[in-house]
Amino acid sequence: MAKQLLIDAIRGKKTPSPPWVPYAGVHCAFLIGEPADKMLKDPELLAKGVTFAAKRYHADGIPLVFDLSVEANSVGCDLKWWPDNVPSVTNHPLSDKSVAEAGLKLPTKESGRWPILFEAARLAKPQLEQMDCALMGLFCGPLTLASHLAGVRIFTDVYKNKEKAHDVLKFAGQVGARAAQLYAEMGADIIAIVDPVASQIKDATFKEFVHPYCQDAIKVINDAGLTSSFFICGDATKVLESVAQVGTHGFAIDEQLNLNFVRDIAIKHKVGFGGNLKLTLALSLGLLSPREDAIVSLAAGGTTGYCFAPG
Amino acid sequence: MAGDKIHIDVLTLDSVQCAACGYMMESIAALPDDVQEMIEYKEWSIKNKEGIGKFLELKGKVLPTICIERDLVFPSIIPQYEELIDEMAKRAPNEAMSKRIQSLRDKGFQFDKIQENLKKAGAGLKTRADS
Repeated sequence: MAKQLLIDAIRGKKTPSPPWVPYAGVHCAFLIGEPADKMLKDPELLAKGVTFAAKRYHADGIPLVFDLSVEANSVGCDLKWWPDNVPSVTNHPLSDKSVAEAGLKLPTKESGRWPILFEAARLAKPQLEQMDCALMGLFCGPLTLASHLAGVRIFTDVYKNKEKAHDVLKFAGQVGARAAQLYAEMGADIIAIVDPVASQIKDATFKEFVHPYCQDAIKVINDAGLTSSFFICGDATKVLESVAQVGTHGFAIDEQLNLNFVRDIAIKHKVGFGGNLKLTLALSLGLLSPREDAIVSLAAGGTTGYCFAPG
Repeated sequence: MAGDKIHIDVLTLDSVQCAACGYMMESIAALPDDVQEMIEYKEWSIKNKEGIGKFLELKGKVLPTICIERDLVFPSIIPQYEELIDEMAKRAPNEAMSKRIQSLRDKGFQFDKIQENLKKAGAGLKTRADS
């Protein structure tokens, strides 16, 4: 395991071999024989799951959680819990109110589930250090958090009600910056903005509503001397140039993108890139051989700024 | 009668795990009551064989995608309310329904029955390989 190798790759540097990050998420619960909801509510089980997964998969870095409901929950969204999945957000406090009208406040380390994450990080971090494995803090990006806060109407508001959309996105960006600060305080080595729905919009919308509201969080990460990344899911082809220019050290994509295309954009903008072992087709369904799929990714990714990871 | 409805299939990875898939589903589940009466919809997660079958049958290309009357209408684009209304109206089974849907163009999303509507569509319930 090699934490520095991963940091170098995310920062776009050449590495002797590609580092590897399993985004284990609630799979950690499966590995330790616990339901996902129970693990996510219990810091000891969470630390146990994360460290077990890091060891089992010889990870160079591992996220503490891969759960995009944490930030929304910490500012007032309710959750539906699942035994085999991440929790889902069930209400949208800004669907018919502004941030001021709803009285939403920025989270603190005492809000929502942040105390669980702090305690889990306290337990996991020394064990990960011993394994030379980076602790990664992943937080919900501005457009996905805005979707949680305002519901699906945000995708109409970005065209038809821009003032409302900017109000929600601005708050989401501030929450993101606070989340980045909290992950820095708990000892994360790498902090990533995870904005999966940012692939579901036009590039101009990304530039107007996603890029600006990532900047506060990126500044927090940079000021702390840590390494930043931007994770996007789905068919992100139309926004990928903008993703590479969002200001993070690197970015990561999912199985729906061609890694050669992604690599060329990353190298052009001198940032790192990660992906894209096929989570669904290979790892989940077994329709492709994970081994052969890994070889294809490794061949395409190369050793300049590339991090091998599920996509 | 099923023939008097507009049929919508949402091809997803998993609307619980994948936020983009979740908000594709919500864009349908948050349609107002008057529209809900005219549509039938279902989530097809490709985490199970049934979902893979539907993805292949409809010739899906990317996830998530909203299909209306078997057309791939919104591939990796979460639609605006009015876009959804317009695309449904184009594919309504009869002129009267098309006009009725168009008349709801200014109504906007309705958020109080989302969970109930998602449950009816099977959202998040068939997302395991063995489900």
